Amino acid sequence: MDKRIMNRIALAVLWLCAATTVAVLGAVILYVFVNGIGQLSLEFIFTWPQGVNAEGGIWPTIVSTVYVTGLAMLIVTPIGVLAAVYLAEYAVQGRLVRTIRFAADSLASVPSIIMGLFGMALFVETMHIPFSMLAAALALSFLMLPIVMRATEEAIRAVPKYIRWGSYGLGASKWQTVSRIVLPAAMPRILTGLILATGRAVGETAVVIFTMGQAINLPVSPLDSGRPMTVHLYILAMEGINLPAAYGTALLLMIMILFFNLTARWLLRRNRRMQG
Amino acid sequence: MADRSMMTGAPAGKKSTLKLMSKAIYVKEAALRNLFLLCATVAVLGVGLIFVFVGVRGWPVVQDPGLGAFLFGKVWSSSTGQFGILPLVTGTLVITLGALLLGAPLAVGTAVFLSEVASPKVRAVVRPAVELLAGVPSVVYGFFGLIILRPIVADLTGGLGFGPLTAAIILAVMIVPTIATLTEDALGSVVPGIREASYAMGATPWQTIYKVLLPAARIGIIDAIILGMGRAVGETMAVVMVAGNAPQFFKGLGEPISTLTSQIVIDMSYASGTHRTALFGMAVILFLISMGLVALVRVISNRKEDR
Amino acid sequence: MCPRAVVRAALACILVGAMFSLAGCGGGGSKADQVIVNGSTTILPIATFAAEQFMEEYPDISVLVSGVGSSEGIVTVSKGSSDIGTSSRDLKPEEDTLGLIDTPIAYDAIAVIVNPENPVRELTTEQARGIFSGRITNWKEVGGSDLPIGLVNRDEASGTREAFKKIVMGDESFDIGAVILPGTGQVRSVVAAEPRAVAYISLGFVNDRVRAVTIDGIVPSEAAVVAGTYPISRILHCFTKGAPAGLVAEFLDYVLSSAVQDSIIRDAGFIPITAKETPGG
Repeated sequence: MDKRIMNRIALAVLWLCAATTVAVLGAVILYVFVNGIGQLSLEFIFTWPQGVNAEGGIWPTIVSTVYVTGLAMLIVTPIGVLAAVYLAEYAVQGRLVRTIRFAADSLASVPSIIMGLFGMALFVETMHIPFSMLAAALALSFLMLPIVMRATEEAIRAVPKYIRWGSYGLGASKWQTVSRIVLPAAMPRILTGLILATGRAVGETAVVIFTMGQAINLPVSPLDSGRPMTVHLYILAMEGINLPAAYGTALLLMIMILFFNLTARWLLRRNRRMQG
Repeated sequence: MADRSMMTGAPAGKKSTLKLMSKAIYVKEAALRNLFLLCATVAVLGVGLIFVFVGVRGWPVVQDPGLGAFLFGKVWSSSTGQFGILPLVTGTLVITLGALLLGAPLAVGTAVFLSEVASPKVRAVVRPAVELLAGVPSVVYGFFGLIILRPIVADLTGGLGFGPLTAAIILAVMIVPTIATLTEDALGSVVPGIREASYAMGATPWQTIYKVLLPAARIGIIDAIILGMGRAVGETMAVVMVAGNAPQFFKGLGEPISTLTSQIVIDMSYASGTHRTALFGMAVILFLISMGLVALVRVISNRKEDR
Repeated sequence: MCPRAVVRAALACILVGAMFSLAGCGGGGSKADQVIVNGSTTILPIATFAAEQFMEEYPDISVLVSGVGSSEGIVTVSKGSSDIGTSSRDLKPEEDTLGLIDTPIAYDAIAVIVNPENPVRELTTEQARGIFSGRITNWKEVGGSDLPIGLVNRDEASGTREAFKKIVMGDESFDIGAVILPGTGQVRSVVAAEPRAVAYISLGFVNDRVRAVTIDGIVPSEAAVVAGTYPISRILHCFTKGAPAGLVAEFLDYVLSSAVQDSIIRDAGFIPITAKETPGG
């Protein structure tokens, strides 16, 4: 076949691939949007579910989602960032580092249901932390750890070497260099990684079901339980008692995740523009 | 690395009266370094703990019902006390393979498009689309599959619409972002100049892609597909909502089927005794599969570097 | 002037330390002013709504309701991690030794539902058993059109499934090739959408998008259940470990009061346990 005709056909197929991907995304988002937009109102966001058919709003689930994600972020940020600092600045390439990286990759690919079972086995049954925000946040932070570690390490490596040399030349210790020069310079990208990890945590279901239970509750202390939006969506969809509310919950969830993703991209673009 | 010669800035071995760093700072530096090392080992600790805690709870399965009966048993029926996971393993395999068959070409095609064909303006639309696809929670995908896809598949196959076909389609969509982003990275890291060399010899873009770039990036693409496979194997919520959850061997594209992940979720809430240990045993197997896939990726990538 | 990251590290240590000490205080069971209710998905809407109203009257008490299945409810209440275990099935023989006391709160009928387009309107218990065990595979065998039967079943955690098994299936097992859905709503939606589908759900969940068939000639209805003529009926239980006391007893009394029995339970489509005492149902 003439190579130019082959070329045209192949390029058309590639266009089709990309178009299909975009179309699928559009379909999912449109579907949730069209069915859920009617539900979104101040009342939906701020009132409790009521009645036999879970009429009303989803406020406690929103609070539960935000609470557990925030708690998980609080736990994972210091550990993940400092771990990446070690890998990027202090570590000597060797067996330990290779093991750490393999462990991080493995953690990243652990199926979330196993993380949930692990969370239940360790935190709830062995450490006797009840089904709560805390147990779920601890399990979620394990899930987020590899994402934060990888993003932070890349961010630190992206900081030009001559900045550090300048700092050492002035007599700064390693820690002073890292904390006052390198980390602030890498901060936008680190934040991006954190935000992406948070977006992932918001969408988690299996992990949370096994560590937080499902009772609808407004959590105040980390030991309170609650029901996050993902679990609420699952229950509403499977019980079929209030499909409009399910759509509304799905839409709100996707808006939150979209917000996180777009913020991360915006931060990254701003950082690239500033670095020239 | 903090060592003594840094304290004086002088060549090692030569005594100097200059002190740039006090002992206090040296100790603090060392302490901090160890703290960070501790943080870094949390990842290793995590993996180890997962093994221990899930493994300990699943270990009794080796005795009751026995490793052979567990791994190769053909019947999973908790009410009669039979815990053979072969139908579940085949379910996982069938759905994963289906997802890869549908999703991998789509993902690689999209990645090639992004990397080689798209103009910057088009890229600015398609690349965010791929990333956003990654952010959609699995329950939303499951919901979509349940309400929209199931009736379509029901009409197509004449069944109820729950089964490997529906599950594979939904999973394929879910793994596209994983495979596509990694493939795009792989395509971006091929030897610079290789494209120009190909065009200089008169090749069309497609010939360049097909005969030069894809082979050059093939290790990275294989890695991407393996990681996508790992994602498909581990997916739970979407599968529970559309696969039908019947622990039987593959009967047809539109006949219900169960996977390791979906069975765990459905049964765990009330399982006790042998049933529970069997579920944890399944979790161990899942964990081994996903770690195995990660190790496979590393082995393949390392071989590439050795060449 | 502390470097930001050191502060963060210190914060992390404090936080983690605080959490572990909190964890030491945290127990696995209920707090003093809290009632934990867990169990059947069938009873979940009633329990949730009753809890809401109860908490409005007694704002200091919190009632946490969740539901994954009757079996889980029984397991958690016998272990002590919940106060009330709701169940839409009776105790199995091996559960009789757990020391659970039953407070029945409602009657329920389990209806076999088909798609409104399905011409089959009546079945015998024998036919139902044949369908759900997989022996009968085509609708024409029970007087319908020539269409393969699409079986939809509940998951094993479901009390509805257990009750149906005990009453209808007897010694036969369910067809292993049936679609299993964890949730009444989805079961109902699939039957409403697919002409060949058949399933069983609590009578209280039947709406006008599906049709309940008669069993052995009896229409599933409140009167039939109270009179005992409808074969597939059951009692909805609230199990407690030992006799209910304190807040738990208060909540259960509230559930048995007419405020809940005549409104919430009827609204949910169940039959008040008190219906037998009042003539005329």
